[in-house]
Amino acid sequence: MSAASFQIEVPELVLARARRGDARALEQIYRAFERPAYTLALRMVSDAESAREVMHDAMLRLIERIGQFRGDAPFWGWLRQIVVNEALMHLRKSRGAAFEELDERDEPAGDGPPPWLLADAAQLERALGELPPVTRSVLWLYHVEEYTHQEIAEMTGKSVSFSKSQVARGASRLRRLLDRQEKEAASCLAATL
Amino acid sequence: MSGRDALNERPSDAALAAALRALPEAAPVPDLWPDLARSIDARRRRPWRYALPVALAAGIALALVLPKFATHEVTPSEPATPVANASAPADDVELSQLHKRSQSLERWIAAVAARAPQDGRDLMAAVEVEDLIGLVDVQLGGARTDSDALPLWRQRVALLEDLAVIRGNGVALAANGADGEAMSASLNLLN
Repeated sequence: MSAASFQIEVPELVLARARRGDARALEQIYRAFERPAYTLALRMVSDAESAREVMHDAMLRLIERIGQFRGDAPFWGWLRQIVVNEALMHLRKSRGAAFEELDERDEPAGDGPPPWLLADAAQLERALGELPPVTRSVLWLYHVEEYTHQEIAEMTGKSVSFSKSQVARGASRLRRLLDRQEKEAASCLAATL
Repeated sequence: MSGRDALNERPSDAALAAALRALPEAAPVPDLWPDLARSIDARRRRPWRYALPVALAAGIALALVLPKFATHEVTPSEPATPVANASAPADDVELSQLHKRSQSLERWIAAVAARAPQDGRDLMAAVEVEDLIGLVDVQLGGARTDSDALPLWRQRVALLEDLAVIRGNGVALAANGADGEAMSASLNLLN
């Protein structure tokens, strides 16, 4: 999973049919982007039901606006931006938790080997799920989707330093969460021996 | 890493990026397409249902703007929204100024919108802002007092200013040499 997984070229013929409202072309586009779009939504909003809503709304938005797409930028980038916008809108609507972000108390962690080198996918996903939604989203947009801090600042309506701090503090929190998981697993193992 | 200085990244950052990218992709379960296809079909069969929120927002905006065009008012006027006057005089003055500013911006945006193509990024941003303006308009329709309406009008004007800048980008580019300063200057004339 990376920004590259989104970089799917859609044939002009399919786009032309989709602009005319051809259901098969729309489904082809949906199927092509189903996984990267849903994965992005899921990483940002965290729960499967919300991710389905984001995906549903994003695809409807795409279908409504596809006639306005002029092809001067990659289609995948346009679609990805729609998904990101829908996810951010979802987070804004569900305020409270949504714009809770990590604060100054989240000091950088120590310089030991990063625990994500050893963690398996389930552990990393569980730790990611414990981050505040905005922090997790910024971390994902930066590291995986390869948006710049400037782009993230524009999308979230925050500053560049906000984006940078969320990436740094998010990594720091992730490290602590994974360390804690490791310790809990070790103590469980010790208790069974 | 596009547009980013990879040299500035610490090794642990690169390792984190690699670990996150290695997470498996997910797919919606159950399949989302049947729901989506039904939604698309429903919108095609009942376009009024899809158009209703947009029409409502447009109607509210029209109700605000039309009386002013009809009477060619040039002086600050009463708020167009059906809100009760339960606010301080200073709020009334600000509301009136916000109405005028909003109208000026809308006229400017309407004038430039059809003059130039937008690139995909600007178009997406414009659509996003237009949707937010629609949401504010719906909220304005439900505002009972001037005090309720005031922050919404501030928000509406701020969004219109954003939209004017985005629309202005397209015009500046299409003018082949018209620079950002010229666009800012024309925006400033609206102040």
